[in-house]
Amino acid sequence: MTAGATAPRFAPALAGLEHRLVDSGDGMPTIEVARERLHELLARLRDRAGFGMCTLVTAVDHLPAEPRFQVTHQLLSLEHRDRVRVHCRVPGNDPWVPSCVDLWPGANWSERECWDMFGVRFAGHPDLRRLLMPEEYDHHPLRKDFPQGGIEPDRLYREWDRKRRAGWSEPR
Amino acid sequence: MGSLRPVDPGSTSPAQPGFVATSANWLINWSRKNSLWPMPLGLSCCGIELMGLLGPKFDLARFGAEAARFTPRQCDLLLVAGTLTWKMAQAARTIYDQMPDPKWVIAMGVCSSTGGMYDSYAVVQGVDSILPVDVYVPGCPPRPDAVIDAILKLQKRIERENPLGRLLGPAVAPRPEEGTGALDYQPNRGLRRTALDKHPHDPKARFPIDETPPRRTEVQP
Ligand code: SF4
Repeated sequence: MTAGATAPRFAPALAGLEHRLVDSGDGMPTIEVARERLHELLARLRDRAGFGMCTLVTAVDHLPAEPRFQVTHQLLSLEHRDRVRVHCRVPGNDPWVPSCVDLWPGANWSERECWDMFGVRFAGHPDLRRLLMPEEYDHHPLRKDFPQGGIEPDRLYREWDRKRRAGWSEPR
Repeated sequence: MGSLRPVDPGSTSPAQPGFVATSANWLINWSRKNSLWPMPLGLSCCGIELMGLLGPKFDLARFGAEAARFTPRQCDLLLVAGTLTWKMAQAARTIYDQMPDPKWVIAMGVCSSTGGMYDSYAVVQGVDSILPVDVYVPGCPPRPDAVIDAILKLQKRIERENPLGRLLGPAVAPRPEEGTGALDYQPNRGLRRTALDKHPHDPKARFPIDETPPRRTEVQP
């Protein structure tokens, strides 16, 4: 939908909060907001516009553009049967957004995966550990500057293997 | 002839093993090859084919290898069926170490043989990077018949082993049983790649291979 055409259903809920409606090209209403107001906006969407479900938290790496990352939340309202998308651009040298686990507990693992894959921190997340890669892994694989073959993909295994062999005593 | 002693795998002397020794070797090999106990390490889609292999239709029991156990302590054949990731590699190696000697490894499917189509940061490019592999089975997934063929080939290999020599010969220091360690071993490395190789799932990606794809760089307002 274009921003000027008809005001979206949730427009009254966001009155007085600085945000922008953007055309995402796929018909889903899309809001762009600064990260200082992201949590307030999400809370209003949940409490005043009935978006009771957070279906997706992910990020897009716009390298080499700056601000580099675009954190995307997709919300679903079961009672009104509609969805909304929230974009929030964050700079590459300090990527963090406020966590929304306090609003939707189901966003917990989505945010952990986003941290794992993109290196975007979620301030206030109760347990921000990696979801898929090993905890000691140094890189964030879905960033655009991460090579496809990985950076020393076997490093953690070889370290473990060296330690294991050092403690190896029983011959056979 | 008739001695148990002269079987020494490391010796360069032309002495042949005696009759008793060869017969005992034959008997041990015969019993080993006909009662392989596979440890099914089903890691992804190949694991489904492995279940079909162990089921009644393909019936691995005909070849004496149907007693799949889910504890490595009771197994002597590690069937790596599926995509091994580096995170899982520690578990796979631990399982291999827990299996008692003698033990053999079959890499089932292209994923476990070479990494397959997953030329990726997360996937071990062939389990022979971390384990010694005896038989590789190509296919994605290989038909159960192909795995049965691999087990028959392994049985032929076991027939040629010299278990008594290992038992009675001079004590050998334990070999550090390792894979090749060749992380980037790729059998098709020399082949010319095309643009379609770079984007195997996108039939429209036809730009030349060295050109970088067009990328939107402008900041969205
Ligand atoms: S070889 Fe093919 S079927 Fe087997 S695990 Fe890999 S992708 Fe799956």
